Amino acid sequence: MIKNYFKIAWRNLWGNKTYSFLNIFGLAIGIACAGLIFLWVEDEVNFDSIYPNKDRIYYIPTNQKYDGVWRTFNSTPGPLAPALKEEIPGIKRVSRVVPREHLFSLGDNSIYEKGIYADPDFTDIFSLQFLQGNAASAFKDINSILISRKMVKQFFGNDTNVIGKTLKLDNTREYVITGVIKDQPQNVTLNYEWIAAYEPFAKYKDWMHQWGSNSMDTYVELSEDADVEVINKKLNGFIQEKIGYDNQTSAFLFAMKDWRLRGRFENGKQTGGRIIYVRLFTGIAWIILLIACINFMNLATARSEKRANEVGVRKVLGAEKKKLVIQFITEAMVMAFLAVVISVLLMQLALPQFNLMVEKQLVMDLGKPLHLLVLLLITLFCGIFSGCYPALYLSSFKPAAVLKEIRSAKGSAVFIRKGLVVAQFTVSIVLIISTIIVYQQVQHVKNRKLGYNKDHLITMKVRGDMEKKFNSIKQDMLNTGMVENVALNSYETLSIGNNGSGATWKGMDESGSDILISYRYISPEFISTAGMEIIEGRDFRLNHPGDSTRILITQSLAKLMGAETAVGKDIRLFEKDFEVLGVVRDFVYGDMYGNSDPVIFFLNEPDYAFYMYIRMSVNANIQETLSSLQAIMKKHNPAYPFEYSFVDDDFNARFTSEMLIGKLSRVFAFLAILISCLGLFGLAAYTAEQRQKEIGIRKVLGANVKRIVQLLSTDFLKLVFIAIGIAIPIAWWIIQHWLTGYAYRIEISWWVFAIAGMAAIGIALCTVSFQAVKAAMANPVKSLKTE
Amino acid sequence: MIKITDLEKFYRTEEVQTVALNKLSFDVKEGEFVAVMGPSGCGKSTLLNILGLLDDPDGGSFIFNGIEVSGFNERKRANLRKHNIGFVFQSFNLIDELTVFENVELPLIYTGVKAADRKERVHEVLEKMQIMHRKNHFPQQLSGGQQQRVAVARAVVNNPKLILADEPTGNLDSSNGNEVMDLLTELNQQGTTIVMVTHSEHDAKFSHRIIRMLDGQKVTENILV
Repeated sequence: MIKNYFKIAWRNLWGNKTYSFLNIFGLAIGIACAGLIFLWVEDEVNFDSIYPNKDRIYYIPTNQKYDGVWRTFNSTPGPLAPALKEEIPGIKRVSRVVPREHLFSLGDNSIYEKGIYADPDFTDIFSLQFLQGNAASAFKDINSILISRKMVKQFFGNDTNVIGKTLKLDNTREYVITGVIKDQPQNVTLNYEWIAAYEPFAKYKDWMHQWGSNSMDTYVELSEDADVEVINKKLNGFIQEKIGYDNQTSAFLFAMKDWRLRGRFENGKQTGGRIIYVRLFTGIAWIILLIACINFMNLATARSEKRANEVGVRKVLGAEKKKLVIQFITEAMVMAFLAVVISVLLMQLALPQFNLMVEKQLVMDLGKPLHLLVLLLITLFCGIFSGCYPALYLSSFKPAAVLKEIRSAKGSAVFIRKGLVVAQFTVSIVLIISTIIVYQQVQHVKNRKLGYNKDHLITMKVRGDMEKKFNSIKQDMLNTGMVENVALNSYETLSIGNNGSGATWKGMDESGSDILISYRYISPEFISTAGMEIIEGRDFRLNHPGDSTRILITQSLAKLMGAETAVGKDIRLFEKDFEVLGVVRDFVYGDMYGNSDPVIFFLNEPDYAFYMYIRMSVNANIQETLSSLQAIMKKHNPAYPFEYSFVDDDFNARFTSEMLIGKLSRVFAFLAILISCLGLFGLAAYTAEQRQKEIGIRKVLGANVKRIVQLLSTDFLKLVFIAIGIAIPIAWWIIQHWLTGYAYRIEISWWVFAIAGMAAIGIALCTVSFQAVKAAMANPVKSLKTE
Repeated sequence: MIKITDLEKFYRTEEVQTVALNKLSFDVKEGEFVAVMGPSGCGKSTLLNILGLLDDPDGGSFIFNGIEVSGFNERKRANLRKHNIGFVFQSFNLIDELTVFENVELPLIYTGVKAADRKERVHEVLEKMQIMHRKNHFPQQLSGGQQQRVAVARAVVNNPKLILADEPTGNLDSSNGNEVMDLLTELNQQGTTIVMVTHSEHDAKFSHRIIRMLDGQKVTENILV
């Protein structure tokens, strides 16, 4: 019996090649698309799963209250980790972690590598896998270092025993390799190529030993019987107690399983994070599968007249309804199976491009039980879902009626078919609208007035002698004629940098003391180099020692200081008074969508210059400028490789999530439309075939091609119009919901909906009219004869 | 074998009710060959559908092999049908996607006959119908006469007690038509009961008894042998 089912399924597919192609190809695209999304989801939900102790590893962030709002920060004070291990039962291991980038050198080979300074417990918390050396001897000396296999290859080639060999850090200190650790996979939160001991690194840095300074990350591993709630209660007031006064700071445990997907906090509460994208994309994957399945349902029921006779005969010969249902579901299964096979090929072809898009190294592995299981489930889902309605519909035909070609009322099937087409187009239109809005929102923020000029602005990390030789470097750069100005800054303009509260001024109301302010230490050239605007008072001046006790503040801080001008007033901070020299127009940093906190600029101090900013002339050639800068840096800082970035590139990199959503929604919208159109194309073909006689008669009676195309297209266009009507409110709701997450956002314009609607009508019309024109051009004599 | 009493069937649309069978009564004995004749729309095909358990009557009684079957549900009807009744249609109704062999095999599959037995039985029937040489062909590769022979083969492959033939020669030329009528006569002589609906006086003469219908009622009954 089963053999018979497969045989007839295969012959039906083979005998109706266009129909089979539309179905299988549409479904294969849908499955490939869903498959790629599921690979992405798999990678996201399995983040950090390489750690055997994943369930017991926690990170300790702090909630701090500023201006009445709880804000969540990653960094914690240095003494926290040892105190936790000693005083809170259930905390088994602790490690402080300070991420850094250093220049590593061996002979002429110098490479910048990112890594961490960590406590010895780190090796056990994260179950480091040693390829050479071991945990016991990992940090035996103050200059011990563990490096990744990748670093070994970069410096020592293939697998030589590197224990005891040395690498030079920042051209100053020699570090001895005490271990080689396995390279990390790409889907981990904490990335590093090397690990060095925390204690010697922090020894002479006072702030790393103070309870009042949050300057590092703290990781803990709980014992197996630990109670998270009990520990959280103890953590709540732990830091305040150590500091000795109420500074509105509370630490808490943040589970590793949530790091990747639930890392967003609002007013001190966990409010989700990337999980929303995982859910969104999973939903879209299923929707695309459904759209593809709908094609099968529609084409199968549309073709029902062709199958009706067969159903009748089978029933006459004794087939029960159940057997016919199984037969039709088997056919859908065969089709789904073929689609899955093709989709695997499509996925393999698309993976390299998809990986580039999502910036991952996803692999489709048929040897992996999970991947095979998912493919099997997709096959079953598509087969059963798309087969069940046609199976129930076809198997319910009355043999007496179909064999005598007495068609029962087809109302229900036609209605459902139309409903399904409306559903397909609704989804497609929602996706088109969302795509346009996501694109608009990203562009809106990218074109936002930032308060400085991000174009033609180069930034370099200050390394080696760059600060000491700043004046010579600057002069050489200006001499090229391609550079307008050069400046130093303690932090990147785009980032939050260092911040704190506690600034006071005369006449300030009491609530003002907990306003969070970002501090930046700049050279006098910075404001003009960055293209920021002084709106009151004046800028720092070169060689003006008196400015060292003066500050520049941003507009938002000036406003807080009162209606009168802030220039000339004193702000007390770090137990010193600073006179406000000038007010700088607010600029955007940190959250590109939000309103930035106030900023105070201090005149730079030694050891606080970490970034150099170079303003290129607008007309300068980029390549020539970079070559000149490289030559200048080689002259003044020869031990360090030339390294730079453009601020506008760094700015664009801040929109990775939005760009990803933008790109993916474009792809999804395109695929949804494509699959829907494949279905519509098939339906239009069947409709034209069904109405062949009617078209013939109309032509004989004098209808021209235009009238007939109109006749055939109008029915489908009506469905698209209904879809537009349903899609607009749905899209409106989704977009509103999405946009509320951004403080700086676009207003939704009506024309977005108009464009999406017109696009859907246009695409549907092209699809349908091809068949309609073909039918209208056919010789009426032929069609009348065939009847 | 068949006893129908006061059989009624109506077709309803929103506005009109048409009477297809109007208190029709007659018997068919086992081994009989009965022809039902009448103008188009007189209820012949409706009668055949009810006799073949493809349709339910709206009133009256239908006793098949001593059992009242008029209230049977679809499953019971299908079960009774596949073991007892074979059909031959005017338009053959072969499944285009199946070969001659597979078309004839289908009733045996539905009655759960084992594969080896099926093959033997199908070959036997195809030999008898002289269509064996075409067993791997698809219906559209055969002539009308050959297709109807396959349809007859399919109708008899399960050894049904009753064959219902709905204008079996309607789509055939006279020589192919005669061949099919000879086949039916032969089957009848071997003990199969046959009820045949036809417009053709010529074909009706092959039967033992002719029932003539008009407007859903029996008008006359002629015994030929």
